[in-house]
Amino acid sequence: MRKLDIRLLRMIKASKGQFISIAVVIILALTIYISFSMTFDNLNNTIDSYYDITNYGDVFVEVVRIPKAAIDQLYTIEGISMAQGRVMVDVPLKVENPNEKVRVRVVSIPKEEKPINKLFTIEGREVKKQIKATAMLRQFAEARGIGIGDKITPYIAGREYPLDVIGIVGSPEYIYLMENEQSILPAPEKFGVIYVGEDFAQSVFGYQGSYNQIMIKVDDESLYKIDTIIDEIEDQLDRYGVERIIKRDDQLSHKMMMEELDSLDKMSTAVPVLFLIVAGVIINIMLSRTVKNDRMAIGVMKALGYNNIQILQHYIKYSLSIGLIGSIFSIVFSIMLSRVFTNVYMQYMNIPIMRTEVYFIYIIYGVIFTSIFCILSGLMGARNVLRILPADSMRPEAPKIGKRVFLERIKPIWSKLTFSWKIVIRNIMRNKRRALFLIIGIALTYSITMVPIFMSYVFSDLFAIHYGEFQTMDFNIDFSKPMNNNGIKELSKVIDIEHIEPKLEFPFELNRGWRKKVVSVIGLNTNTEVYNFTSPQDESFTLSQEGIVLSEGLADSLKIKIGDEIILKNFLPNKEDTKIQVTGITQQYLGLNAYMNIEAMGKIIGEKGMITGALVNSSDDVTAKLNNVANINNIQSVEDMKNSFLEFMDMIIYSVGLLMLFGGILGFAIVYNVTIISISERLMEFSSLRVLGFDKNEIYKMITRENGLLTLLGIIIGIPVAYGMCYGIATAFDTDIFSIPVNITPISYIITAIATIIFVTVAQLATIRRIYKLNFIDALKSRIS
Amino acid sequence: MANNSLMKVENISKIYQMGEVEVTAAKNINLELYQGEFVVILGPSGSGKSTLLNIIGGMDLPTEGRVFLKEEEITKYNDKRLTNYRREKIGFVFQFYNLMANLTARENVELATEICKDALDIDEIMKAVGLEDRKDHFPAQMSGGEQQRVAIARAVAKNPLILLCDEPTGALDFETGIKILSLLKKINKELNKTVVIITHNMPIGDMADRVIKMRSGELVEIKENKNPIPPERIEW
Ligand SMILES: Nc1ncnc2c1ncn2[C@@H]1O[C@H](COP(=O)(O)OP(=O)(O)OP(=O)(O)O)[C@@H](O)[C@H]1O
Ligand SMILES: [Mg+2]
Repeated sequence: MRKLDIRLLRMIKASKGQFISIAVVIILALTIYISFSMTFDNLNNTIDSYYDITNYGDVFVEVVRIPKAAIDQLYTIEGISMAQGRVMVDVPLKVENPNEKVRVRVVSIPKEEKPINKLFTIEGREVKKQIKATAMLRQFAEARGIGIGDKITPYIAGREYPLDVIGIVGSPEYIYLMENEQSILPAPEKFGVIYVGEDFAQSVFGYQGSYNQIMIKVDDESLYKIDTIIDEIEDQLDRYGVERIIKRDDQLSHKMMMEELDSLDKMSTAVPVLFLIVAGVIINIMLSRTVKNDRMAIGVMKALGYNNIQILQHYIKYSLSIGLIGSIFSIVFSIMLSRVFTNVYMQYMNIPIMRTEVYFIYIIYGVIFTSIFCILSGLMGARNVLRILPADSMRPEAPKIGKRVFLERIKPIWSKLTFSWKIVIRNIMRNKRRALFLIIGIALTYSITMVPIFMSYVFSDLFAIHYGEFQTMDFNIDFSKPMNNNGIKELSKVIDIEHIEPKLEFPFELNRGWRKKVVSVIGLNTNTEVYNFTSPQDESFTLSQEGIVLSEGLADSLKIKIGDEIILKNFLPNKEDTKIQVTGITQQYLGLNAYMNIEAMGKIIGEKGMITGALVNSSDDVTAKLNNVANINNIQSVEDMKNSFLEFMDMIIYSVGLLMLFGGILGFAIVYNVTIISISERLMEFSSLRVLGFDKNEIYKMITRENGLLTLLGIIIGIPVAYGMCYGIATAFDTDIFSIPVNITPISYIITAIATIIFVTVAQLATIRRIYKLNFIDALKSRIS
Repeated sequence: MANNSLMKVENISKIYQMGEVEVTAAKNINLELYQGEFVVILGPSGSGKSTLLNIIGGMDLPTEGRVFLKEEEITKYNDKRLTNYRREKIGFVFQFYNLMANLTARENVELATEICKDALDIDEIMKAVGLEDRKDHFPAQMSGGEQQRVAIARAVAKNPLILLCDEPTGALDFETGIKILSLLKKINKELNKTVVIITHNMPIGDMADRVIKMRSGELVEIKENKNPIPPERIEW
């Protein structure tokens, strides 16, 4: 073995703590990159093949009623390869506890040879000709403990229809099971989907020979012009009462999945890059310090006839070996973890099949990228090798020029400092680069730690604000068909009511230039008491008689400001599109909506006085009392929302913990390395102090003070950085479902600071050995590494 | 002394620019070194001894002037050839030994030999410097004299044309210093290597074939010793 390599190995052995801590950062980066990327690919493949197997549709059209013949007409549109009808109606399900409101979506199974959205039978049999038999979506079956052979009883048009569960199935449109866009979180024990024969569904719902939903498949070659095809579909179906046209991209389950995958994809690069940068900076600082301390040794090597490349290689091998050893561990971890992650996702996502592979390409990318990164940061760190002359081997280290530090000029402060603090400040100022790195590192640790804390607060805030400040009703009641104001009177008779007001809710497509978005537009009384609109500038305002108010996220995605005109496209038969002016933009963190005066909205729809639901404040047992009342489609209680939110919180606690751990590891690696470097660089100085009679504790106290002061500065600088990072995360995670407000509570700042201080302290304690092991005689004796 | 010229230094000057001030470390130096001779450079601190030696050793470049090895002008060399010159032709011994702390005595020697073409046998060299039973020790486990002997072994094992020693005894006591000088003399005689030694110590000049005196960057005198004395008889 080459003697320089022997020297390298001994160098690594002597600095193994640093070596390991940097390797851990690299292992984290690479493991996250490889395993997340593999998980991402596995999930994508799994979803794709699931969609393939189940013949997942591309466009779904909800209509009032359409005969089979009209569906067959759709084949005249170029690009449509399949069109099938089905009946789909949400009904209550009979359950033991009368206070519990459970709903199921009854869906008919098309008779075609090759059905669209074909069910994937997980257990039991397929529903074919059997009447009184049903196949049930697995999530719902599991959540309610229903199995094959059990009977369930939905209420259909006021009658009970007992059905035998003969199959447990999965469906591509309910991988992520949510009732509708307003649901926000899945609640599989409250809402399920059951599949029945077409004849049965048509007869019980009164749809003989016709359907209320069309599933369409588009040729792969025509997918690029899907929007034109949708326009044609809309024209052709206009007289059947098109209520909504949903393309796959907007389909709730698919959309949630894609968002999930998207954030996985973002994580799989953003986190590793951040970690690699930190590792790179540590390597850089460490090697540049090593080269500086090795100045004489490098001079000797040069005097002996080693050239620059050989010496640079010697140091770069150090960083490269960190990268390679990190890579080996990462590969092993990632292969194991990607299986685990994929599994976890599979369970979460309810896909009954799984495609997992090891994608070596990510391993190759990861290792190559990490190696290049390590070589580059090694080169950056060791580049001063070039500047060292062979003659330097004979000159002892040029003494650092003693300069007055800036603070000394400010006499009133300087003179108040004790002697040991003066030394501390001089030491810090003497090596500004090292101090700067420590400060930046701590600022980074602070902000990385802040993100999960911010997230957990934000989610509780999100709900508190949405359901406590923005909306203040206790119950949101939807009728199963539009009514007039009598509906309100009826309700008031059944339940004790503190406040009630009508609402009119319809989906519209909002168009502005080429941008469009389908959202629920909600009509309210102008003086509504249960919605509190607040502008982005935090000023509250009310609905105007005319015009429309958009939620902030919606306005952003359509690039609209107050005063702009937009086109409201409705899905009602024979109704013209309407132009309307935007009169307000309101903060809204959950969901995207638009709001109008209820009368103005009624005019657009052409049904004056029509309402689709009521907003109620009541301490009565509303759910139970309304359970058996006809014409009520859905009761959403804020209480229920809160409960499902609490479950959701449990889930994010884990990811919060994991992120905190990451922040901690980074913080540890940074503080540990910087402290070790600073101790070994100052061995001579400490040794001299020891000779002068200082004891180990006093020296340690000095370093602790230095680090403490720098930690404080780091935290102060970390505050705006953390804000920026949270802002970035909030923007990245902004979706149609959540728009995340960036207001960080003071308590978050404090908790984060405490966590950061703990990380720093742990790292500091890990370096204590160095001081206690310090053999000052040796240090004074040996002048060269 | 057979006038077999090995190296020739022509009119070299070295000027350091220190901000506004110019420091002239060497001024118009002319010198010739012959094959197999033992040369001592004497002079007070700061007189430019190390500067001259570094330039001869290809470790530093003069501001002006030329240096020749036989017919080759080394001051014209590019970095690569200069490195090669140090690697193959020069053996350097430092005042503070400058061993690699994390390599053993033997490994320190090998560090130098594994990059040159016709290195000598390491075990023989270790024996010659009297360190065959210390070769697996780290520098920190050896005395100054022992470390300096390792440094000499390192320089000699490369089988260089010329051995340049910058105050090889500067950090050593008298007895040990004499031992080192005897070793150098032995190498000079037995291996017929040209040896150049820098020192403050006038009496050491008595063992040289020639003594070169420097002052304020200038070469003030070259004195030939008809009868150099063996190092054991030096006194100071
Ligand atoms: N890198 C440098 N930059 C500036 N001046 C230098 C440098 N190296 C040497 N000098 C100056 O050049 C002059 C000659 O230095 P040199 O090291 O050759 O002296 P020396 O004779 O070897 O002294 P000593 O016996 O103390 O080692 C000195 O005045 C020194 O200050
Ligand atoms: Mg000198």
